[in-house]
Amino acid sequence: MSEPTDQQGAGLRTTRELAQAISSVERGGPAADALIQTALTRLASERSQNAVVIGVTGPPGAGKSTLVGALAERARTAGRRVAILAVDPSSVQSGGALLGDRVRVEERPGDEGRFVRSIATRGSGRSLSYTAAAASLLVEAAGFDLVFIETVGAGQADLGIVRLADLVLLVEGPEGGDEVQAMKAGLLESAHLVVVNKSDRPGADRAVERLRSGLALGHDAPEVLLASAVDGSGVAELLAALEGLAVTRSGGGLQRRIAAHLAAAVEARAAQLLRDAESDGRLAALAQSIAAGERPLSGAVDELLKG
Amino acid sequence: MAERTAPIRVLIAKPGLDGHDRGAKVLARGLRDEGFEVIYTGIRRTTEAIIAAAIEEDVDVVGCSILSGAHATLLPKVVAGLRDAGAADVLVVAGGIIPEEDRAGLEAAGIAAIFGPGSTIAEIATYLRAHVRTN
Repeated sequence: MSEPTDQQGAGLRTTRELAQAISSVERGGPAADALIQTALTRLASERSQNAVVIGVTGPPGAGKSTLVGALAERARTAGRRVAILAVDPSSVQSGGALLGDRVRVEERPGDEGRFVRSIATRGSGRSLSYTAAAASLLVEAAGFDLVFIETVGAGQADLGIVRLADLVLLVEGPEGGDEVQAMKAGLLESAHLVVVNKSDRPGADRAVERLRSGLALGHDAPEVLLASAVDGSGVAELLAALEGLAVTRSGGGLQRRIAAHLAAAVEARAAQLLRDAESDGRLAALAQSIAAGERPLSGAVDELLKG
Repeated sequence: MAERTAPIRVLIAKPGLDGHDRGAKVLARGLRDEGFEVIYTGIRRTTEAIIAAAIEEDVDVVGCSILSGAHATLLPKVVAGLRDAGAADVLVVAGGIIPEEDRAGLEAAGIAAIFGPGSTIAEIATYLRAHVRTN
């Protein structure tokens, strides 16, 4: 049995090296930092063009995984090197996770131009793991030029993916898009493109209308398309629309990913500090001192962030 | 080597022409509740697809659930494929209906453990924690 080392995956040349590198950034620490540095050096010296990173979000059951699988197949056929990072939630109780997105993606063993990785949210408790930006940098450095990041999709605000992706695609089902939801904005506000999936089912046309009329009340309304991942209709048009938007938003993608990685690392550190303060009783003690008027809230916050 | 802190990653696979996935799903859910990150790949996967998925997901364990009777052919192929891909440190275990007389051959082919009907989730979890690679 080979003894794993801190240098695992540092080459980023093979699928296995890339896969091990992602595990390493998930573990964190100095080895993770070194890998990100390697990836950035590689991207600076070898890549003339940034990858396009597309965030895919939307309510559970809208068909995000199947649609991403269909888009990936199509893009791969067109010669793109495609990676899918599929995020699923970790259990708050056990820390475990059931990562099921691969079920909906066609396996293509032997195709080095395709990479699929399931990522658990682990400590983040959000729609993305803290390490999604780092994983994206690694797959970009490994030569994938189109990256889909599929979020957990629960909840309306999905700031992490907005920070990280060049484009955000919101996937809705045929029952989606009720007008009040659309007006409340949330996810819709940050989407660059909206697609109503499952156009093979009744009600999809009306969902498009609902979403369009809701969005029309705001400014810079994203386009609303119709597609079916199952029968394939609209998938080519959707991919073309995404690639068109990517061209108009090109540039700065790499900086965006680095900033997202930094932001996630800060959030992870702050969450860790809070957990530590909770478990060793400092949080409760500080709360008490606020209650007793001994300390203002902002002072307690500073105290906690010092660690 | 420091004690492992990251969750153990397990690929649950159903190789070959066998659509009976109840056991695999129960195990996937059970191991999640035991703190494992479980990647479920669905039914009727080729051994090549299972090996490729195991490499991409950098799993510590591949668990094959098999009720079709094709275990003697398919399971050694998974072990050999992982070895050829440079991933001999991935533990391969099996579950399902596997006759007693086939066990020795499978173990000789590199299947680390076989969990037949009646195995509990806790028993499987304990075994995996004790036997996976340490990073």
